[in-house]
Amino acid sequence: MGRTSKLTSLQEAAAIVKDGQRLTLGGFAIYQRPMAFARELVRQGRRDLTIVGVVNAIEADLLIGAGCVSRIETSYVGLEKFGLARNFRRAAEAGTLDTVDYPELIAWDRFRASQEGIPFWPCTFLGGSGIVEYNKDIVPFDCPVTGARLWAVPPAAPDVVVVHAVMGDEYGNVAFHDRKMLPQSVDITHTRSCDTIIVTVEKIVSGREMRKRPDLVEIPALRTTHIVEVPFGAHPTSLLGIYDCDEDAFRDYATASGTPETFADYLDSTVHPPGGHAGYLEALGVERLLALRNVELPA
Amino acid sequence: MSTLPYTIEELITVVLAKSFKDGEVGFTGLATGGAAALYITGIPLAAMEFARQTHAPNLTILLAGWSINPVFSEIRELPSAEFDSGLQNLPCEAQMETYPGPYAVRRGDVDFGFGSGVQVDRAGNINSTCVGDFNKPKVRLVGSILLPEHMTCFRREYIMMPHHEVRSFVEKVDYVSGVGYPGGDAGRQALGLTMGGPEWIVTPKCIFEFDRAAGQARLRSIHPGIDPHDVLNSTGFAIDTDGIPTTQAPTTEELAILRRKVDPHHALIPHGGE
Repeated sequence: MGRTSKLTSLQEAAAIVKDGQRLTLGGFAIYQRPMAFARELVRQGRRDLTIVGVVNAIEADLLIGAGCVSRIETSYVGLEKFGLARNFRRAAEAGTLDTVDYPELIAWDRFRASQEGIPFWPCTFLGGSGIVEYNKDIVPFDCPVTGARLWAVPPAAPDVVVVHAVMGDEYGNVAFHDRKMLPQSVDITHTRSCDTIIVTVEKIVSGREMRKRPDLVEIPALRTTHIVEVPFGAHPTSLLGIYDCDEDAFRDYATASGTPETFADYLDSTVHPPGGHAGYLEALGVERLLALRNVELPA
Repeated sequence: MSTLPYTIEELITVVLAKSFKDGEVGFTGLATGGAAALYITGIPLAAMEFARQTHAPNLTILLAGWSINPVFSEIRELPSAEFDSGLQNLPCEAQMETYPGPYAVRRGDVDFGFGSGVQVDRAGNINSTCVGDFNKPKVRLVGSILLPEHMTCFRREYIMMPHHEVRSFVEKVDYVSGVGYPGGDAGRQALGLTMGGPEWIVTPKCIFEFDRAAGQARLRSIHPGIDPHDVLNSTGFAIDTDGIPTTQAPTTEELAILRRKVDPHHALIPHGGE
Protein backbone atom coordinates (compact mmCIF):
# COMPACT_ATOMS: atom_id res chain seq x y z
CA MET A 1 0.00 0.00 0.00
CA GLY A 2 1.50 3.33 -1.07
CA ARG A 3 1.80 6.43 1.02
CA THR A 4 -1.13 8.83 0.74
CA SER A 5 -0.61 12.03 -1.19
CA LYS A 6 -2.20 15.08 0.44
CA LEU A 7 -2.03 17.18 -2.71
CA THR A 8 -5.28 19.08 -3.07
CA SER A 9 -6.62 21.72 -5.43
CA LEU A 10 -7.23 25.20 -4.08
CA GLN A 11 -10.98 24.81 -4.62
CA GLU A 12 -11.15 21.50 -2.75
CA ALA A 13 -9.00 22.85 0.06
CA ALA A 14 -11.17 25.94 0.50
CA ALA A 15 -14.27 23.75 0.54
CA ILE A 16 -12.94 22.12 3.74
CA VAL A 17 -13.74 25.35 5.57
CA LYS A 18 -17.44 25.28 6.44
CA ASP A 19 -19.80 28.14 7.12
CA GLY A 20 -19.71 29.16 10.77
CA GLN A 21 -16.26 27.71 11.54
CA ARG A 22 -13.35 29.27 13.42
CA LEU A 23 -10.64 30.03 10.86
CA THR A 24 -7.03 31.08 11.35
CA LEU A 25 -5.19 32.51 8.36
CA GLY A 26 -1.43 32.43 8.84
CA GLY A 27 1.13 35.20 8.62
CA PHE A 28 1.30 38.38 10.64
CA ALA A 29 0.06 41.90 9.85
CA ILE A 30 0.76 42.56 6.15
CA TYR A 31 3.27 39.70 5.79
CA GLN A 32 2.92 36.21 4.30
CA ARG A 33 -0.84 35.83 4.36
CA PRO A 34 -2.53 32.97 2.46
CA MET A 35 -4.30 35.47 0.21
CA ALA A 36 -5.07 33.10 -2.67
CA PHE A 37 -6.88 30.87 -0.18
CA ALA A 38 -8.82 33.84 1.21
CA ARG A 39 -9.84 34.88 -2.31
CA GLU A 40 -11.06 31.33 -2.99
CA LEU A 41 -13.23 31.48 0.14
CA VAL A 42 -14.74 34.69 -1.27
CA ARG A 43 -15.43 32.96 -4.61
CA GLN A 44 -17.12 30.10 -2.79
CA GLY A 45 -19.30 32.53 -0.82
CA ARG A 46 -18.37 31.26 2.62
CA ARG A 47 -20.47 32.84 5.41
CA ASP A 48 -20.51 33.43 9.15
CA LEU A 49 -16.83 32.67 9.75
CA THR A 50 -15.02 33.61 12.94
CA ILE A 51 -11.50 34.84 12.21
CA VAL A 52 -9.15 33.94 15.07
CA GLY A 53 -5.84 35.76 14.82
CA VAL A 54 -2.94 37.58 16.45
CA VAL A 55 -2.36 40.64 14.25
CA ASN A 56 -4.70 40.79 11.25
CA ALA A 57 -4.73 42.81 8.08
CA ILE A 58 -5.77 42.52 4.44
CA GLU A 59 -6.68 38.81 4.60
CA ALA A 60 -9.30 39.54 7.27
CA ASP A 61 -10.44 42.81 5.71
CA LEU A 62 -11.02 41.08 2.35
CA LEU A 63 -13.19 38.37 3.89
CA ILE A 64 -15.08 40.92 6.00
CA GLY A 65 -15.70 43.12 2.96
CA ALA A 66 -16.96 40.12 1.01
CA GLY A 67 -19.48 39.28 3.73
CA CYS A 68 -17.80 36.03 4.84
CA VAL A 69 -17.15 36.97 8.47
CA SER A 70 -19.44 37.58 11.44
CA ARG A 71 -16.86 37.69 14.25
CA ILE A 72 -13.16 38.42 14.69
CA GLU A 73 -10.95 37.73 17.71
CA THR A 74 -7.58 39.52 17.51
CA SER A 75 -5.37 42.36 18.79
CA TYR A 76 -5.20 44.43 15.59
CA VAL A 77 -6.88 44.81 12.24
CA GLY A 78 -5.21 47.37 9.99
CA LEU A 79 -3.07 47.74 6.90
CA GLU A 80 0.00 49.24 8.65
CA LYS A 81 1.49 51.88 6.37
CA PHE A 82 -1.44 51.53 3.95
CA GLY A 83 -3.89 52.80 6.58
CA LEU A 84 -6.95 51.51 8.41
CA ALA A 85 -8.70 48.30 7.34
CA ARG A 86 -11.75 50.00 5.93
CA ASN A 87 -14.10 47.05 5.45
CA PHE A 88 -13.36 46.02 9.05
CA ARG A 89 -13.99 49.57 10.23
CA ARG A 90 -17.29 49.88 8.36
CA ALA A 91 -18.57 46.51 9.56
CA ALA A 92 -17.63 47.22 13.19
CA GLU A 93 -19.27 50.65 13.05
CA ALA A 94 -22.40 49.23 11.41
CA GLY A 95 -22.65 46.54 14.06
CA THR A 96 -22.56 43.70 11.52
CA LEU A 97 -19.22 42.38 12.84
CA ASP A 98 -18.64 41.12 16.37
CA THR A 99 -15.20 42.44 17.41
CA VAL A 100 -13.53 40.59 20.28
CA ASP A 101 -10.30 42.22 21.43
CA TYR A 102 -7.21 40.62 22.96
CA PRO A 103 -3.74 41.99 23.79
CA GLU A 104 -1.13 41.03 21.19
CA LEU A 105 0.97 38.61 23.24
CA ILE A 106 -2.14 37.02 24.72
CA ALA A 107 -3.64 36.65 21.25
CA TRP A 108 -0.51 34.66 20.39
CA ASP A 109 -0.55 32.74 23.69
CA ARG A 110 -4.10 31.60 22.95
CA PHE A 111 -2.59 29.46 20.18
CA ARG A 112 0.02 28.16 22.65
CA ALA A 113 -2.85 27.12 24.92
CA SER A 114 -4.41 25.22 22.02
CA GLN A 115 -1.02 23.68 21.21
CA GLU A 116 -0.69 22.41 24.78
CA GLY A 117 -4.31 21.34 25.05
CA ILE A 118 -4.85 23.38 28.21
CA PRO A 119 -8.26 24.92 28.98
CA PHE A 120 -7.08 28.54 29.38
CA TRP A 121 -4.02 30.75 29.35
CA PRO A 122 -3.45 32.67 32.61
CA CYS A 123 -2.93 36.40 32.25
CA THR A 124 -1.71 38.73 34.99
CA PHE A 125 -2.07 42.23 33.61
CA LEU A 126 -5.59 42.89 32.35
CA GLY A 127 -7.09 44.82 35.29
CA GLY A 128 -8.68 48.12 34.27
CA SER A 129 -8.45 47.42 30.55
CA GLY A 130 -11.22 47.78 28.00
CA ILE A 131 -10.37 44.24 26.97
CA VAL A 132 -11.78 42.69 30.15
CA GLU A 133 -14.56 45.26 30.29
CA TYR A 134 -15.95 44.18 26.91
CA ASN A 135 -14.55 40.69 26.22
CA LYS A 136 -16.67 38.43 28.41
CA ASP A 137 -14.88 35.29 27.18
CA ILE A 138 -12.04 36.28 29.52
CA VAL A 139 -12.85 35.13 33.05
CA PRO A 140 -11.31 36.62 36.23
CA PHE A 141 -10.15 34.24 38.94
CA ASP A 142 -7.90 34.27 41.99
CA CYS A 143 -4.55 32.52 41.61
CA PRO A 144 -4.76 29.27 43.63
CA VAL A 145 -1.10 29.69 44.63
CA THR A 146 -0.66 33.39 45.42
CA GLY A 147 -4.25 34.63 45.67
CA ALA A 148 -3.48 37.37 43.13
CA ARG A 149 -6.16 38.43 40.64
CA LEU A 150 -5.65 36.67 37.30
CA TRP A 151 -7.63 36.26 34.11
CA ALA A 152 -8.35 33.01 32.28
CA VAL A 153 -8.10 33.57 28.54
CA PRO A 154 -9.77 30.97 26.31
CA PRO A 155 -7.60 29.03 23.83
CA ALA A 156 -7.68 30.11 20.17
CA ALA A 157 -9.30 26.77 19.28
CA PRO A 158 -9.37 27.21 15.50
CA ASP A 159 -11.31 24.62 13.47
CA VAL A 160 -9.02 25.14 10.48
CA VAL A 161 -5.56 26.73 10.17
CA VAL A 162 -4.24 27.83 6.77
CA VAL A 163 -0.67 29.04 6.23
CA HIS A 164 1.31 29.94 3.12
CA ALA A 165 4.92 28.71 2.93
CA VAL A 166 7.80 28.29 0.52
CA MET A 167 7.90 24.61 -0.38
CA GLY A 168 6.65 21.21 0.57
CA ASP A 169 6.20 17.68 -0.69
CA GLU A 170 3.01 15.83 -1.59
CA TYR A 171 2.91 14.13 1.83
CA GLY A 172 2.70 17.49 3.61
CA ASN A 173 6.24 18.10 4.80
CA VAL A 174 6.74 21.87 4.64
CA ALA A 175 10.07 23.70 4.84
CA PHE A 176 10.69 27.22 6.04
CA HIS A 177 13.66 29.45 5.39
CA ASP A 178 16.60 29.06 7.71
CA ARG A 179 16.37 32.71 8.74
CA LYS A 180 12.94 33.28 10.17
CA MET A 181 11.12 36.33 11.41
CA LEU A 182 8.10 36.59 13.67
CA PRO A 183 5.53 36.01 10.86
CA GLN A 184 7.15 32.61 10.25
CA SER A 185 7.33 31.94 13.99
CA VAL A 186 3.62 32.62 14.43
CA ASP A 187 2.87 30.26 11.52
CA ILE A 188 4.76 27.48 13.29
CA THR A 189 2.68 28.10 16.42
CA HIS A 190 -0.51 28.23 14.33
CA THR A 191 0.14 24.86 12.74
CA ARG A 192 0.68 23.24 16.14
CA SER A 193 -2.61 24.55 17.54
CA CYS A 194 -5.10 22.65 15.40
CA ASP A 195 -5.79 19.25 13.81
CA THR A 196 -6.91 20.54 10.41
CA ILE A 197 -3.93 22.19 8.76
CA ILE A 198 -4.03 23.37 5.17
CA VAL A 199 -0.71 24.57 3.76
CA THR A 200 -0.45 26.41 0.50
CA VAL A 201 3.09 26.47 -0.89
CA GLU A 202 4.88 28.23 -3.72
CA LYS A 203 6.19 24.93 -5.05
CA ILE A 204 5.71 21.21 -4.52
CA VAL A 205 9.02 19.33 -4.66
CA SER A 206 9.92 15.66 -4.29
CA GLY A 207 10.28 13.97 -0.93
CA ARG A 208 13.91 13.34 -1.87
CA GLU A 209 14.46 17.06 -2.36
CA MET A 210 12.88 17.84 1.02
CA ARG A 211 15.11 15.32 2.79
CA LYS A 212 18.17 17.40 1.89
CA ARG A 213 17.27 19.79 4.68
CA PRO A 214 15.05 18.00 7.19
CA ASP A 215 16.15 20.58 9.77
CA LEU A 216 14.15 23.21 7.88
CA VAL A 217 10.91 21.22 7.93
CA GLU A 218 8.89 23.10 10.55
CA ILE A 219 5.62 21.43 9.56
CA PRO A 220 6.19 17.66 9.31
CA ALA A 221 3.71 15.61 7.28
CA LEU A 222 1.99 14.30 10.39
CA ARG A 223 0.63 17.77 11.08
CA THR A 224 -0.53 18.57 7.56
CA THR A 225 -4.03 17.67 6.42
CA HIS A 226 -3.86 19.10 2.88
CA ILE A 227 -1.13 20.70 0.80
CA VAL A 228 -1.81 22.91 -2.21
CA GLU A 229 0.59 24.33 -4.79
CA VAL A 230 -0.21 28.03 -5.18
CA PRO A 231 2.51 30.15 -6.78
CA PHE A 232 2.37 33.78 -5.59
CA GLY A 233 -0.17 32.53 -3.09
CA ALA A 234 0.55 35.38 -0.67
CA HIS A 235 0.15 38.19 -3.23
CA PRO A 236 -0.18 41.12 -2.61
CA THR A 237 1.55 40.41 0.73
CA SER A 238 5.20 39.40 0.79
CA LEU A 239 6.72 35.95 1.16
CA LEU A 240 10.00 36.24 3.04
CA GLY A 241 12.96 35.59 0.77
CA ILE A 242 10.79 34.87 -2.29
CA TYR A 243 8.91 38.04 -3.22
CA ASP A 244 8.16 41.49 -1.86
CA CYS A 245 4.92 43.20 -0.98
CA ASP A 246 3.13 44.49 -4.11
CA GLU A 247 2.72 48.04 -2.82
CA ASP A 248 0.73 49.22 -5.84
CA ALA A 249 -1.74 46.38 -5.39
CA PHE A 250 -2.00 47.23 -1.68
CA ARG A 251 -2.73 50.86 -2.47
CA ASP A 252 -5.34 49.82 -5.06
CA TYR A 253 -6.92 47.60 -2.42
CA ALA A 254 -6.92 50.38 0.19
CA THR A 255 -8.55 52.79 -2.25
CA ALA A 256 -11.10 50.25 -3.45
CA SER A 257 -12.10 49.37 0.10
CA GLY A 258 -13.08 53.00 0.74
CA THR A 259 -16.78 52.40 0.01
CA PRO A 260 -18.98 49.29 -0.30
CA GLU A 261 -19.63 50.16 -3.95
CA THR A 262 -15.98 50.47 -4.98
CA PHE A 263 -15.16 47.33 -3.01
CA ALA A 264 -17.89 45.37 -4.79
CA ASP A 265 -16.33 46.54 -8.06
CA TYR A 266 -12.94 45.40 -6.79
CA LEU A 267 -14.23 41.93 -5.99
CA ASP A 268 -15.94 41.70 -9.38
CA SER A 269 -12.85 42.76 -11.28
CA THR A 270 -10.12 41.11 -9.18
CA VAL A 271 -11.47 38.07 -7.33
CA HIS A 272 -14.53 36.80 -9.22
CA PRO A 273 -13.43 36.65 -12.87
CA PRO A 274 -13.28 33.09 -14.20
CA GLY A 275 -10.02 31.22 -14.00
CA GLY A 276 -9.55 31.33 -10.23
CA HIS A 277 -6.03 31.97 -8.96
CA ALA A 278 -4.44 31.34 -12.36
CA GLY A 279 -6.70 33.99 -13.83
CA TYR A 280 -5.82 36.36 -11.01
CA LEU A 281 -2.10 35.97 -11.74
CA GLU A 282 -2.67 36.30 -15.47
CA ALA A 283 -4.49 39.57 -14.96
CA LEU A 284 -1.56 40.89 -12.92
CA GLY A 285 0.82 39.95 -15.71
CA VAL A 286 4.18 38.27 -15.88
CA GLU A 287 6.26 41.45 -15.80
CA ARG A 288 4.66 42.70 -12.62
CA LEU A 289 5.03 39.39 -10.82
CA LEU A 290 8.64 38.90 -11.88
CA ALA A 291 9.48 42.39 -10.65
CA LEU A 292 8.40 41.38 -7.13
CA ARG A 293 10.83 38.46 -6.94
CA ASN A 294 13.73 38.48 -4.46
CA VAL A 295 16.73 37.51 -6.51
CA GLU A 296 19.92 36.60 -4.69
CA LEU A 297 23.26 35.27 -5.76
CA PRO A 298 23.65 31.57 -4.95
CA ALA A 299 25.46 30.97 -1.66
CA MET B 1 9.95 77.46 16.07
CA SER B 2 11.97 78.91 13.23
CA THR B 3 13.74 81.31 15.62
CA LEU B 4 15.18 78.46 17.69
CA PRO B 5 18.52 76.87 16.67
CA TYR B 6 17.05 73.37 16.94
CA THR B 7 13.91 71.51 15.91
CA ILE B 8 11.19 70.46 18.32
CA GLU B 9 12.15 66.84 17.59
CA GLU B 10 15.76 67.54 18.60
CA LEU B 11 14.53 69.18 21.81
CA ILE B 12 12.35 66.21 22.74
CA THR B 13 15.03 63.68 21.74
CA VAL B 14 17.65 65.06 24.11
CA VAL B 15 15.21 65.45 27.02
CA LEU B 16 14.03 61.85 26.60
CA ALA B 17 17.60 60.57 26.27
CA LYS B 18 18.58 62.10 29.61
CA SER B 19 15.78 60.20 31.33
CA PHE B 20 17.19 56.80 30.30
CA LYS B 21 19.64 55.04 32.61
CA ASP B 22 22.67 53.04 31.60
CA GLY B 23 21.88 49.35 31.24
CA GLU B 24 18.19 49.82 30.52
CA VAL B 25 16.27 48.10 27.71
CA GLY B 26 14.03 50.24 25.48
CA PHE B 27 11.40 48.96 23.06
CA THR B 28 9.96 50.67 20.01
CA GLY B 29 7.81 49.63 17.07
CA LEU B 30 8.62 50.58 13.50
CA ALA B 31 6.24 53.03 11.90
CA THR B 32 7.15 55.18 8.93
CA GLY B 33 5.83 58.36 7.36
CA GLY B 34 4.01 61.18 9.08
CA ALA B 35 4.02 62.69 12.54
CA ALA B 36 2.85 59.53 14.32
CA ALA B 37 5.81 57.56 13.01
CA LEU B 38 8.18 60.34 14.06
CA TYR B 39 6.83 60.28 17.60
CA ILE B 40 6.71 56.53 18.16
CA THR B 41 9.75 55.49 16.11
CA GLY B 42 12.07 58.27 14.92
CA ILE B 43 12.34 60.30 18.12
CA PRO B 44 12.54 57.24 20.41
CA LEU B 45 15.33 55.69 18.33
CA ALA B 46 17.27 58.96 18.19
CA ALA B 47 16.86 59.40 21.96
CA MET B 48 18.00 55.85 22.77
CA GLU B 49 21.00 56.13 20.46
CA PHE B 50 21.87 59.55 21.92
CA ALA B 51 21.85 57.95 25.38
CA ARG B 52 24.08 55.12 24.11
CA GLN B 53 26.53 57.63 22.63
CA THR B 54 26.67 59.67 25.84
CA HIS B 55 25.83 58.51 29.36
CA ALA B 56 24.28 55.06 28.68
CA PRO B 57 26.59 52.92 26.50
CA ASN B 58 24.97 49.73 27.87
CA LEU B 59 21.42 50.66 26.91
CA THR B 60 19.75 48.05 24.66
CA ILE B 61 17.50 49.11 21.77
CA LEU B 62 14.77 46.70 20.65
CA LEU B 63 13.81 48.12 17.24
CA ALA B 64 10.46 46.83 16.02
CA GLY B 65 10.73 44.60 19.08
CA TRP B 66 13.17 42.27 17.38
CA SER B 67 16.19 44.03 15.78
CA ILE B 68 18.51 44.41 18.74
CA ASN B 69 20.93 47.36 18.85
CA PRO B 70 20.73 48.53 15.22
CA VAL B 71 23.88 50.26 13.94
CA PHE B 72 22.65 53.71 13.05
CA SER B 73 25.94 54.92 11.61
CA GLU B 74 25.33 52.44 8.76
CA ILE B 75 21.63 53.18 8.30
CA ARG B 76 20.75 55.76 5.66
CA GLU B 77 17.02 55.35 5.96
CA LEU B 78 14.69 53.23 8.05
CA PRO B 79 12.95 50.35 6.27
CA SER B 80 9.24 51.00 5.81
CA ALA B 81 7.92 47.74 7.26
CA GLU B 82 8.63 45.67 10.36
CA PHE B 83 9.04 42.25 8.77
CA ASP B 84 10.15 42.89 5.20
CA SER B 85 13.49 41.57 4.12
CA GLY B 86 14.82 45.15 4.32
CA LEU B 87 14.72 45.08 8.08
CA GLN B 88 16.21 41.57 8.11
CA ASN B 89 19.30 43.06 6.48
CA LEU B 90 19.47 46.11 8.74
CA PRO B 91 22.84 46.10 10.52
CA CYS B 92 22.33 45.14 14.17
CA GLU B 93 23.79 43.01 16.97
CA ALA B 94 21.12 40.32 17.27
CA GLN B 95 17.70 39.38 15.96
CA MET B 96 14.71 37.80 17.64
CA GLU B 97 13.37 35.18 15.24
CA THR B 98 10.74 33.56 17.40
CA TYR B 99 8.20 34.30 20.08
CA PRO B 100 8.82 33.51 22.92
CA GLY B 101 12.26 34.96 22.31
CA PRO B 102 15.35 36.27 24.05
CA TYR B 103 13.53 38.73 26.28
CA ALA B 104 10.52 38.15 28.50
CA VAL B 105 8.07 41.03 28.44
CA ARG B 106 5.93 39.79 31.32
CA ARG B 107 8.88 39.17 33.62
CA GLY B 108 9.83 42.83 33.24
CA ASP B 109 12.80 42.60 30.85
CA VAL B 110 11.72 45.80 29.07
CA ASP B 111 12.42 48.95 31.08
CA PHE B 112 10.60 51.40 28.88
CA GLY B 113 8.58 51.71 25.69
CA PHE B 114 6.79 54.28 23.58
CA GLY B 115 3.10 54.17 22.79
CA SER B 116 0.42 56.33 21.29
CA GLY B 117 -3.28 56.44 20.62
CA VAL B 118 -6.05 58.71 19.38
CA GLN B 119 -6.94 59.68 22.94
CA VAL B 120 -5.12 60.04 26.24
CA ASP B 121 -6.88 61.09 29.42
CA ARG B 122 -6.10 62.78 32.73
CA ALA B 123 -5.31 59.44 34.39
CA GLY B 124 -2.93 58.45 31.59
CA ASN B 125 -5.19 55.83 30.00
CA ILE B 126 -4.68 55.59 26.23
CA ASN B 127 -7.05 54.48 23.48
CA SER B 128 -6.23 52.97 20.09
CA THR B 129 -9.42 50.92 19.76
CA CYS B 130 -12.48 53.09 19.07
CA VAL B 131 -14.04 56.54 19.30
CA GLY B 132 -17.49 56.51 20.85
CA ASP B 133 -19.25 53.53 22.43
CA PHE B 134 -17.40 50.23 21.89
CA ASN B 135 -20.56 48.40 20.87
CA LYS B 136 -21.59 51.09 18.36
CA PRO B 137 -18.37 52.94 17.62
CA LYS B 138 -18.32 56.25 15.79
CA VAL B 139 -14.88 55.28 14.55
CA ARG B 140 -13.46 51.77 14.89
CA LEU B 141 -9.66 51.83 15.02
CA VAL B 142 -7.06 49.08 14.84
CA GLY B 143 -7.38 47.65 18.36
CA SER B 144 -5.27 47.45 21.50
CA ILE B 145 -2.26 45.79 19.81
CA LEU B 146 0.60 45.62 22.35
CA LEU B 147 -0.54 48.63 24.41
CA PRO B 148 -1.90 46.54 27.31
CA GLU B 149 1.57 45.03 27.68
CA HIS B 150 3.32 48.41 27.19
CA MET B 151 1.34 49.98 30.03
CA THR B 152 1.59 47.15 32.57
CA CYS B 153 4.55 44.87 31.79
CA PHE B 154 7.12 47.43 30.64
CA ARG B 155 8.54 49.17 33.69
CA ARG B 156 7.52 52.56 32.34
CA GLU B 157 5.90 53.98 29.22
CA TYR B 158 6.42 57.24 27.38
CA ILE B 159 3.13 58.23 25.78
CA MET B 160 4.00 60.00 22.55
CA MET B 161 1.27 62.26 21.16
CA PRO B 162 2.15 63.91 17.84
CA HIS B 163 -0.97 66.13 17.92
CA HIS B 164 -1.78 68.06 21.09
CA GLU B 165 -5.47 68.91 20.65
CA VAL B 166 -8.57 69.00 22.84
CA ARG B 167 -10.07 66.05 21.00
CA SER B 168 -7.11 63.81 21.80
CA PHE B 169 -6.47 65.06 25.39
CA VAL B 170 -9.75 64.10 27.00
CA GLU B 171 -11.19 63.81 30.50
CA LYS B 172 -11.85 60.07 30.01
CA VAL B 173 -10.88 57.90 27.04
CA ASP B 174 -13.71 56.11 25.19
CA TYR B 175 -11.88 52.77 25.55
CA VAL B 176 -8.93 51.83 27.77
CA SER B 177 -6.44 50.11 25.47
CA GLY B 178 -3.58 50.81 27.88
CA VAL B 179 -4.17 51.49 31.59
CA GLY B 180 -2.82 54.60 33.33
CA TYR B 181 -3.40 55.47 37.00
CA PRO B 182 -7.16 55.24 37.56
CA GLY B 183 -7.48 55.94 41.28
CA GLY B 184 -3.76 56.61 41.46
CA ASP B 185 -1.12 54.12 42.55
CA ALA B 186 -3.59 52.56 44.96
CA GLY B 187 -6.05 52.14 42.11
CA ARG B 188 -3.45 50.33 40.02
CA GLN B 189 -2.62 48.06 42.95
CA ALA B 190 -6.31 47.24 43.39
CA LEU B 191 -6.48 46.27 39.72
CA GLY B 192 -3.66 43.78 40.30
CA LEU B 193 -1.15 45.83 38.32
CA THR B 194 2.16 45.52 40.13
CA MET B 195 4.49 47.02 37.56
CA GLY B 196 4.83 49.83 35.05
CA GLY B 197 2.55 52.62 33.98
CA PRO B 198 2.93 55.85 32.04
CA GLU B 199 5.92 58.02 32.89
CA TRP B 200 5.40 61.07 30.68
CA ILE B 201 3.10 62.30 27.94
CA VAL B 202 5.25 63.98 25.29
CA THR B 203 3.68 66.42 22.80
CA PRO B 204 4.94 69.08 20.37
CA LYS B 205 3.97 71.66 23.00
CA CYS B 206 4.95 70.25 26.38
CA ILE B 207 5.71 67.26 28.58
CA PHE B 208 3.33 65.93 31.24
CA GLU B 209 4.30 63.79 34.20
CA PHE B 210 2.01 62.11 36.73
CA ASP B 211 0.94 62.79 40.29
CA ARG B 212 0.72 59.08 40.94
CA ALA B 213 -0.95 59.32 44.35
CA ALA B 214 -3.78 61.32 42.80
CA GLY B 215 -3.63 59.53 39.44
CA GLN B 216 -3.50 62.75 37.46
CA ALA B 217 -1.36 64.11 34.67
CA ARG B 218 0.33 67.42 35.46
CA LEU B 219 2.64 69.60 33.43
CA ARG B 220 6.33 68.92 33.82
CA SER B 221 7.61 71.49 31.31
CA ILE B 222 6.43 73.64 28.41
CA HIS B 223 8.58 73.79 25.30
CA PRO B 224 10.45 77.01 24.46
CA GLY B 225 8.36 79.42 22.40
CA ILE B 226 5.02 77.82 23.39
CA ASP B 227 2.45 80.06 25.09
CA PRO B 228 1.04 78.41 28.26
CA HIS B 229 -2.43 79.52 27.14
CA ASP B 230 -1.96 77.45 24.01
CA VAL B 231 -1.26 74.39 26.17
CA LEU B 232 -4.33 75.11 28.33
CA ASN B 233 -6.56 75.57 25.29
CA SER B 234 -5.29 72.38 23.65
CA THR B 235 -5.89 70.16 26.67
CA GLY B 236 -9.35 68.74 27.34
CA PHE B 237 -8.76 68.19 31.07
CA ALA B 238 -7.91 70.70 33.80
CA ILE B 239 -4.21 71.53 34.19
CA ASP B 240 -2.24 74.19 36.01
CA THR B 241 0.30 76.13 33.97
CA ASP B 242 1.51 78.39 36.79
CA GLY B 243 5.19 78.14 37.55
CA ILE B 244 5.82 75.35 35.04
CA PRO B 245 9.44 75.46 33.81
CA THR B 246 10.49 75.67 30.20
CA THR B 247 11.67 72.37 28.68
CA GLN B 248 15.46 72.31 28.91
CA ALA B 249 16.98 73.24 25.55
CA PRO B 250 19.77 71.10 24.10
CA THR B 251 23.26 72.57 24.31
CA THR B 252 25.41 73.25 21.26
CA GLU B 253 27.52 70.23 22.17
CA GLU B 254 24.46 67.97 22.50
CA LEU B 255 23.16 69.13 19.14
CA ALA B 256 26.52 68.37 17.56
CA ILE B 257 26.48 64.80 18.97
CA LEU B 258 22.90 64.33 17.83
CA ARG B 259 23.48 65.58 14.29
CA ARG B 260 26.93 64.16 13.62
CA LYS B 261 27.12 60.93 15.59
CA VAL B 262 23.60 59.78 16.43
CA ASP B 263 21.74 60.54 13.20
CA PRO B 264 24.41 61.46 10.63
CA HIS B 265 22.21 60.57 7.67
CA HIS B 266 19.13 62.31 9.08
CA ALA B 267 17.29 59.00 8.87
CA LEU B 268 15.49 59.39 12.19
CA ILE B 269 14.33 62.97 12.85
CA PRO B 270 14.35 66.43 11.19
CA HIS B 271 17.32 68.52 12.22
CA GLY B 272 17.85 72.27 12.42
CA GLY B 273 20.80 74.61 12.21
CA GLU B 274 24.04 74.32 10.27
